[in-house]
Amino acid sequence: MSAAEDPYTLMEKWLKAKEFLVVGKGVRRADAIEKALGMARYVEDFYMPGHMLFVKQVLSTEPHARILGVDASKALEIPGVEGVFTAKDIPGENQVGYALPDQPLLADGKVRFVGDLVALVAARDFDTAIRAAEEVRIKYEPLPYVLDPLEAMKRTDVLVHEEVGSNIAFRTKVRKGNVEEGFAKSDVIVENEYRTHHQDHLYLETEGALALPELGDRLTVISAGQYPHLVRAIVSRVVGLPESHVKVIIPYMGGGFGGKDDEGPLVAAKAALVARLTGKPSFLLYTREESLIMHPKREATVIKYKSGASKDGKLQAIDVQIIHDTGAFTNRGPFILWRATVHASGPYKVPHAKVDGYCIYTNKVYQGSYRGFGNPSVQFAAEAQMDRLAEKLGMDPVDFRLKNLLRPGDTTITNQLLDHSVGVADAVAKLAETAGWREKRERYSKENGGRYRKGIGIGVAWHGISTSRGVPDWSNALVKIEKDGSVSVHTGIVEMGQGSPVSSHRQIAAEILGAPIDLVTVDFGTTDAPDTGATHASRGTSIGAIGVYVASAKLRERLNRLAAELLETSPDDIVIKDGKAYARSNPSKSISWKDLIKEAYARGVEMSATGYFFLPKGKFDDQKGQGYAYPAFSYVAMIAEVEVDTYTGKVRVLRIWPGLAAGKIINPTQVEGQVEGAAVQGMGYALMEQFVFDDKGRILNADMTDYVIPTALDAPEIMKPVYVEDIFKYGPFGAKGVGEMALIPAPAAIANAVSNALGIKVTKLPLTSENVYFLIKGKR
Amino acid sequence: MFYRIPEINYIYVSKLDEALEVLHTLDNARVLAGGTDLVMDLKIGRIRPETIVDISRVDELKYIKDEGDYLRIGALTTLQDIVESSLVRAKAPVLVKAVNEMASWQVRNVATIGGNLCNASPAADSAPPLMVLEARLILASREGEREVPITQFFKGPGKTVMRPDELLKEIIIPYERGSGQHYIKLGRRDAFTLSIVSVAALVKVSNGKFSDVRIALNSVAPTPVRAYDAENALKGREVNLENIENASKLVLNSISPITDVRASAEYRKEMSVVLTRDALLAALKDLGINLGGE
Repeated sequence: MSAAEDPYTLMEKWLKAKEFLVVGKGVRRADAIEKALGMARYVEDFYMPGHMLFVKQVLSTEPHARILGVDASKALEIPGVEGVFTAKDIPGENQVGYALPDQPLLADGKVRFVGDLVALVAARDFDTAIRAAEEVRIKYEPLPYVLDPLEAMKRTDVLVHEEVGSNIAFRTKVRKGNVEEGFAKSDVIVENEYRTHHQDHLYLETEGALALPELGDRLTVISAGQYPHLVRAIVSRVVGLPESHVKVIIPYMGGGFGGKDDEGPLVAAKAALVARLTGKPSFLLYTREESLIMHPKREATVIKYKSGASKDGKLQAIDVQIIHDTGAFTNRGPFILWRATVHASGPYKVPHAKVDGYCIYTNKVYQGSYRGFGNPSVQFAAEAQMDRLAEKLGMDPVDFRLKNLLRPGDTTITNQLLDHSVGVADAVAKLAETAGWREKRERYSKENGGRYRKGIGIGVAWHGISTSRGVPDWSNALVKIEKDGSVSVHTGIVEMGQGSPVSSHRQIAAEILGAPIDLVTVDFGTTDAPDTGATHASRGTSIGAIGVYVASAKLRERLNRLAAELLETSPDDIVIKDGKAYARSNPSKSISWKDLIKEAYARGVEMSATGYFFLPKGKFDDQKGQGYAYPAFSYVAMIAEVEVDTYTGKVRVLRIWPGLAAGKIINPTQVEGQVEGAAVQGMGYALMEQFVFDDKGRILNADMTDYVIPTALDAPEIMKPVYVEDIFKYGPFGAKGVGEMALIPAPAAIANAVSNALGIKVTKLPLTSENVYFLIKGKR
Repeated sequence: MFYRIPEINYIYVSKLDEALEVLHTLDNARVLAGGTDLVMDLKIGRIRPETIVDISRVDELKYIKDEGDYLRIGALTTLQDIVESSLVRAKAPVLVKAVNEMASWQVRNVATIGGNLCNASPAADSAPPLMVLEARLILASREGEREVPITQFFKGPGKTVMRPDELLKEIIIPYERGSGQHYIKLGRRDAFTLSIVSVAALVKVSNGKFSDVRIALNSVAPTPVRAYDAENALKGREVNLENIENASKLVLNSISPITDVRASAEYRKEMSVVLTRDALLAALKDLGINLGGE
């Protein structure tokens, strides 16, 4: 690689950009028209009934049981049934655990929750597959089971995974200073136990995959997932083919929110398994009920939180215990717990910290990735603590936060130095002003008689960019300028509604190349692109877009050198915009974009480049509970105004003010979309969404009649976000990531507003009418 | 949980006579009107009829007619047609209010008023307003027609007084001149959801006293119910907040809620009282009487 194409140098160079052609503007996304017209194709649109097998799943009806036998004889007698497959039919490895090897794709020997997958039925059509699935008989030997995580922690007589020897699947810790000393210095101490619950993603499109056998022992899988290369890795492991024999295409997706990052590869592996075993194209699509019963949920938690502050309003110490109910498998539970653990303080300076995390097996549906990834629950607890401390200190909650918020040069509870990109205090100050915080807080605190009570609350949160600790993270993309001047970008980042590949990636490529944006097309969600990492952790337009950024920058260097040669000037003097390249010193010297590209092809200048970038990271010491956690943090604050009907307990969120310190805003229209969607999803979690389990751990409301999410009529007025563009050196133009942010402080802000309205401490979600009613009555 | 409609006989009819003839000959049949409940029930196996009689195109049952002292609504009138009818809005506003909060615009354009009643869900939203309006239902069969007051129509979840050979043909809604009407639905969200409790109230006032009071609730008993004890406690009494609050507590005599995934029995009881009070106050407001009480 020539020195001129070193990614760090190129990133540094473009980070200094001050004027922009398309970045920072609300450029219309490329898929707007096809989606508005209903023409965009999703996985199901590739299914051709009659030409492909339909796959149906047979799920466990027991929470914990040995499988004594699977009798498929009756099912196999039905004409049109191609096969019934169980764990023993898997040609590769029956192991799909992401963090720990505790999860078979198909139950092997025993089932661990109602909904565990036992068999796959393949038939020539939908009806036959369902009929056959009903005829598969499974003989179980029921085992004792455990549903409550606090009980599961203590018991060793009932083990969800015998080989582990305990129901404690994983532990995490953070230690800083000496908490005893910190509490001794504290003038006020508050201690509470918080509880949060599961949440379903309820994406519009349920999980699906279509696996197509190809010649030469190859497979193509069209599937819903958030990381095509991970989908491929899991498919390859299960069916026993080299990764190079598996091609994965992730078309448009109707929502992911983390759920398809976990479940997507498993769905693909199931369809691929059937395709491999039958030699026929095989299609699997979850019903809504299956989706609700099977796929991983947001973690349910019990958080014990003690915190202390001195009279001057400075936080002194926190002692936190976080318990995650991980259900039948850990899935990404350890990573989720890590994130909760290192974020436990909230974005504050805390000199003394002790945080312990426990990931606990139970015989329920397992936990998984969900927008915010372990963070909304712990920020809810941390921010409720902040309000209680402020109250005891007689301080305004915003003033108290401003005294303690992290600033450049501070260290986190893992002792990581934050040397740049820490704009949270500015964001909170601006947000409080925009929302009229002081006036409203004072007014609502006085006006608390009557039936309808208003309240205002704030939640402030942080969210580490990239994976936790030193876990490797990278980006890549392939950018090609075709002979006619059009630009093709190939990336593994997927389009699941958020818009990164169809908006910001095009903007980044067009900005750097100077190419007209209409000429830029992004081929997304494909293993034909170099491994880009996942579309999760708010990285689609941050780390995930660095590949596009660096590859484009390499090509731009080449174009500038070529144009300089043609226009007889220096590369630094070249401007490319409005469809032409010209000399800044003499704009009359110019060449059109198309001619410039023609010249490149004629003169042997390569017009394709990859943008590999490996994110530099430090180390985390698991033993000491200290070290490097994340390259940087995105920060988010939210103020919520609520009205509570004290006669019914109904909470109405009237207004939400969001604030972001998430680096450069590449596309403000898309960011607003993400902020509004996340805020409403967070509000749904805080107010109404919940699963009801029966005494076998079965979900009783596994349908959209009774798993209730907000509609447009429930949505509050969401104000324009306040932005503090605290540029991050390893983000495209300094972007840190936005996708998850507004969900994270939403439960905290809403719960704190309800506490303010009622003068009652809220420690448990969701704030359904019923729960709030009995909270007011002192009964819950 | 599996989305499969079992193999089933399907009969399509386009005339009322034809429908009645077919129903006369069948034992285990269900009628498909809008299908928004029926098709789901078939898929999840809640019902297992041998035959479906599709009456969705019997256009002669789609009408809203003004007869002066009463309205006649054909059983196949869609919920959205009711919401958009200026006639119903003028003469039975509580029905419009209730139906407007049902389902979504898409579903309301398919679902029918007759279907909502015949499905006999304890949570049927069109039932409480029709019960306070003392609507009468015309049930037709090959043998002829009979009229049943809606207050005597429901027998239990999914059960009505209709015989297998009968079809709900028409709903007659008396025009309650000079009445104040209101409907309140408490659900887990503001739209497109089953109620936790809903209350319809109708009041008439003369000389500062209640001359008539009617209260009906859904989701708090095996069928939608009238709260006669509460009504009687107010009739002839002075219109004031205290009387209303005391009477509202008597709805508990008429209900027997259960705990389910939507709410606990305890919460439903407490909300029945609160919403009855609120619905009565709002119905009075409809008459221009403002007693405050938020």
